[in-house]
Amino acid sequence: MSPPVRETLYVRFHPERCQGCASCLKVCPTKAIRIRGRKSLCLVDRCIGCGACIGACAAGAITAAVHPVEGIGAGHTAIALVSPVLYAQFPNVMPREVLKALRRLGFHHTIDSSIFLEMFQFAAAEFIRRNRTAAEAPWPLISPVCPAVVRLIAFKFPRLLAHVLPVLRPVALMAREVRDTLLPRIAARGLPAVLYYINPCPTMGAMRTPPGSPPLPLTEVSIGINELYPALRRAVEEAVAEAEPFGREGFEFETCTTGNASLVAMSGGEIATMRIEASMAVSGMQETTAYLSKIEMGLFRDVEYFELRTCREGCLGGVLNAVDKYLAKSNIHRMIHIYGLGRRIPRQSILRLYDRGCFHPEQSPLALAEIFADRKPPLTLAQAAEIERLLGELPGYGCGACGAPDCPTFAEDVVRGLAERDDCVWLSAGTREIRSGRRKDERR
Amino acid sequence: MASVTKRFPLRARDFLHAGEASIQVQAFLKTMRLDPGLIRRIAICSYEAEMNAVIHGGNGELEMTLAEDRIVIEVRDEGAGIADIELAMQPGYSTADETAREMGFGAGMGLPNMKTHADELELASAPGRGTRARMIFRRRPPQEKTP
Repeated sequence: MSPPVRETLYVRFHPERCQGCASCLKVCPTKAIRIRGRKSLCLVDRCIGCGACIGACAAGAITAAVHPVEGIGAGHTAIALVSPVLYAQFPNVMPREVLKALRRLGFHHTIDSSIFLEMFQFAAAEFIRRNRTAAEAPWPLISPVCPAVVRLIAFKFPRLLAHVLPVLRPVALMAREVRDTLLPRIAARGLPAVLYYINPCPTMGAMRTPPGSPPLPLTEVSIGINELYPALRRAVEEAVAEAEPFGREGFEFETCTTGNASLVAMSGGEIATMRIEASMAVSGMQETTAYLSKIEMGLFRDVEYFELRTCREGCLGGVLNAVDKYLAKSNIHRMIHIYGLGRRIPRQSILRLYDRGCFHPEQSPLALAEIFADRKPPLTLAQAAEIERLLGELPGYGCGACGAPDCPTFAEDVVRGLAERDDCVWLSAGTREIRSGRRKDERR
Repeated sequence: MASVTKRFPLRARDFLHAGEASIQVQAFLKTMRLDPGLIRRIAICSYEAEMNAVIHGGNGELEMTLAEDRIVIEVRDEGAGIADIELAMQPGYSTADETAREMGFGAGMGLPNMKTHADELELASAPGRGTRARMIFRRRPPQEKTP
């Protein structure tokens, strides 16, 4: 267990706003949060950046560690990486209007992800097709698209990292394309470039540079859709009213032309247009964890591909969205009615890229085990027995008053020396009779 | 010798929660950093035994004991019991009803799987008297059993 911290790569804690309600404790999939002294939030373990605690905190004491939305395009070339989730925030507005509005806000380039999503989907289906008979891949394969899922696997199910599809994620393809085609042009202009990931969740984008290459003239920042939304909404209204031509697009990947990509924003959308024989889509943290447990137990070996999302309903259920996930879903359905579904890249050209190895990650997903593995020292048998004994004394309500998410975690904290036995209100009150009587009913 | 025992109640026909005891056993063994291959074998057996109890068994209990040298999984139920154990051990033999089969269970591989993956399997059962399945997994065996 790492020492208590107030900020991770993904979330920030504001203890002064904390009401001590314990809601965040309950939703954290890695049980990483504790409350000390009623309102001192802290992290004692690995944060995987799912954002569940942000959504659970009504007091606003937990926020995403995103970049503030200010000064976009001032003194730098601003590049927006747009996921289809952003389009889903606006009813009856076409993606091109949203991209136009982004340029009004100061972005110089707006990179739409649809072409990269399509490339990814093709490469994933191709990998499965080629390995189907070879039986080399560990079945079922798991989608690498949701980074929180991959980190959850690294933390809780490291054995399943081998199941993570070894194909570059759409966002990595997108970042690579920007690096290879856009950056040289921007560099010629002499301004530094800033790459803005406009995200529905507190997860960060990652630019992979080939080993040994010089540092890029580029900064990467992550901004939340919800923080950009008020200004963007006004800009969208203006863009729609003026109906000006799109004008400044320079690359094919700067526009969105099919409905396929918008589908990916919702659960089931990634696999819906992939040509795979047996696939399943699961969304929600609890559901994802339950399915991963079952996959680890050897179930679902007849399924080729699992699309997993820690947010319910998929990315449009992410905590940094501006509109409700069901409204967003309805917007996507409408968009698909207009655009229709279809592919924009000829099969042969992606196949050539595939054969050149353009979709293979330089780093195996297995490397994540090093970064995100559970670092708690293993318990000895005697410690485990002591935890069991202590559990027998605890009420088992999981009230969270001690500052730990549930009784088993509290018991483990006590045995590891991270909490005091008397932090439990039941134990310190000494109401043993009530406890033992109720406890038996609860357990049955 | 030090050991830890955990017990999980099992409810007959509760397909919604079926498998959760095994998931918890698996999670616990992971925190104890047991060999992943061993955990996998235990999880498979524990899941099969748990499902048997839920499908056929009436109410029951899953008990896991972790000791220095071994893990014991014992699943006891108060169900119909098994009339012919040898027949029940045949791969593909199943007495699961329509409901269980519709949910994807009852392929008749439960007991054979348990036999394959456990180091020892003891079955005690008689019609109307319930079933007790006791499986032993040895830690650090001289050579790992490969199913």
